[in-house]
Amino acid sequence: MFDGLGLLANGISHFLNPISLFNIVWATLLGIVIGALPGLTATMGVALLVTLTYKMAPDQAILVLMCIYSGAIYGGSRTAILLAIPGTPASAATTLDGHPLALQGKAGLAMGLATTSSALGTIIGIVALALIAPLLAEAALKFGTYEFFWLALFGVIISGQLTAMDDPLKGYMAGILGLLVAMVGMETLHAHQRFTFGIASLGGGVDLIPAMVGAFGFAEILGVMKRTAQARIVSSSDRVVPKLGEVFKYWKTIIRSGLIGTFVGIVPGVGEDVGAWASYAAAKRASKEPHMFGRGSQEGLIAAETGNSSVVPGAMIPTLTLALPGSAAAAVLIAAMFIHGIRPGPLLMTESPETLYQIVAVLLFSTLAILVLGLTLTKPLLTVLSVPRERLMAVVYVLCVVGSFAITQRLFDVYVMVGFGIAGFILREMKFPMAPLVLGIILGDLLDLNLRRGLLLTNGDPSPFFTRPISAVICGVIVVTILMSIPAVSKRVRALLPSARAQSPGQG
Amino acid sequence: MVEQSPDAAPLPPADEAVPPAMIKADLAAGLFFVVLAAATLFGSWTMDRLEARRINPMTAPGLVPGLLSAALLVCGVILTLRSLRTPAPEGWRDLGRAIVSSGAQRAGAVLVLTLVYSLVLVGLLPFWLATGVFVFAFVLVFEAWLAAPRHPLLRTLPWAFGLAVVTAAVVTLVFERLFLVRLP
Repeated sequence: MFDGLGLLANGISHFLNPISLFNIVWATLLGIVIGALPGLTATMGVALLVTLTYKMAPDQAILVLMCIYSGAIYGGSRTAILLAIPGTPASAATTLDGHPLALQGKAGLAMGLATTSSALGTIIGIVALALIAPLLAEAALKFGTYEFFWLALFGVIISGQLTAMDDPLKGYMAGILGLLVAMVGMETLHAHQRFTFGIASLGGGVDLIPAMVGAFGFAEILGVMKRTAQARIVSSSDRVVPKLGEVFKYWKTIIRSGLIGTFVGIVPGVGEDVGAWASYAAAKRASKEPHMFGRGSQEGLIAAETGNSSVVPGAMIPTLTLALPGSAAAAVLIAAMFIHGIRPGPLLMTESPETLYQIVAVLLFSTLAILVLGLTLTKPLLTVLSVPRERLMAVVYVLCVVGSFAITQRLFDVYVMVGFGIAGFILREMKFPMAPLVLGIILGDLLDLNLRRGLLLTNGDPSPFFTRPISAVICGVIVVTILMSIPAVSKRVRALLPSARAQSPGQG
Repeated sequence: MVEQSPDAAPLPPADEAVPPAMIKADLAAGLFFVVLAAATLFGSWTMDRLEARRINPMTAPGLVPGLLSAALLVCGVILTLRSLRTPAPEGWRDLGRAIVSSGAQRAGAVLVLTLVYSLVLVGLLPFWLATGVFVFAFVLVFEAWLAAPRHPLLRTLPWAFGLAVVTAAVVTLVFERLFLVRLP
């Protein structure tokens, strides 16, 4: 415990120098701008910026990417409030109450509440990250080949289930598709080339960064340019810095939403949007004025913003300790960490325990930056919103090309980006979620290698996959998740539950 | 663990009824995935099992792709059957209309511009020139032609030209001089 506090102090002092502080400020500001611009999402921003951090020292590179990530998740709220368009999918729930507040002439109040509740949400998540991650890392040291196989499968299944709530089948299909993409190239157990069709560039498999830039960058450009309508900006004149009472009146909502967001963040591949919707719904259920939700409820706005911001640190928990990305942007962070020689996973706490606390420190600094920048730069951020997307998207596509080319300097990666962009656009138009797809690409190797390594260890006997206690539990959870997503089964189970509840008081 | 969490249940307010066009699109997607999965399954089954190297047959390289494509096949069949059984009056006509809608045409225009840029111009022209041409064409097409209302050409031209020059110069200088990345 005290070791942890010492390491945290080290982490904070590690970044107390002019260069780091400068990087924190510009990266957070860039993140906020990326988040505020409709059509630029957090995942896309992080994926495009990996190129820029390529030549930086590892700690500074991770610092910049983390600041971009948390800045962008916050920045989306600005657009949601003033334009009624979520700047990133994470702030879709913010639109519901943020925009009505702006229409009532309380745009400043809405922006102030969004800023403070984002900061508070991140802090709740940071505390959870600092407390849970070391414990989870220690527990994960007991995980063997069998457990990691199930964890990889669990990650893809749960992400498929929760990112496509109304049609989990499509979520699963996206996840399987991602896993299949990961099968392309050299497999590591016997060094055999799979599905390369004689193309030498495919030998190393499909790189995650170009695939992500395609699926979250190019696909987004196609989606944004497809729409014709442009929204109008609501002007604001009231004060932006909120009174403390206005925020802390809803302290229960803040803590509840922060915890829900952190939990959603921990679940692999389920990101900020789900965190925001889940805490919004919970706040509505617990609220004394549920009828105000959707009509400019300050409580609803606080719930959505606390919920999505606390996902960011929460998502780092499985990312750092298990190398299971907690969100789509965290998947890019894993790829970036590997580029810079940091290996996330159970060994992180033994190999470089300072990394975890440095990330905690970075998140604290970026929260401070969000608070200061968000409350002061109201006017400049307003001009950002008026950039026409025709001009913006042309430049963004150039960055997509450069971003996917620059890492390994081959045109093949640009073709991968284009391919994933087109496929991603079509899949998204057909309501297939993207997060399970990228999770599949990153977890495919883990799943494949651990299944076959396990079978090699037991000489072909699959029973340890089902008899080891942790394996059995994860396997059980996967089976229940899949069964409950079948409408016929879940209907029957739900039919049983209320009747059981109805019977019990009678019996008691 | 997670499915018991009541908080994770409600998601964006979604329309209950699936539009007929989407059902037909699902049918097409289902059939596509069935074919894709069957091809991958065949590829995994016929993949070299490295018997000459006496590896354990349960660790053959084709095992996991085979299992995954079998799972995808099952999902594809379910999606196909589900969309066949759901009535979708005039679904095909709606889907056709969606494919030739103005939105889809705009996406098509983006596709043509970006593909010409990244597959033809990059590599053929110097990177800065290719980028300039692309940005100029992109802004011009979407502001002076596909916008509603269209912007007057004389007002768009200077913007398009200026942005093209600035983007080409800044991207090339920043990446080649500052980040020392070789550009295509």
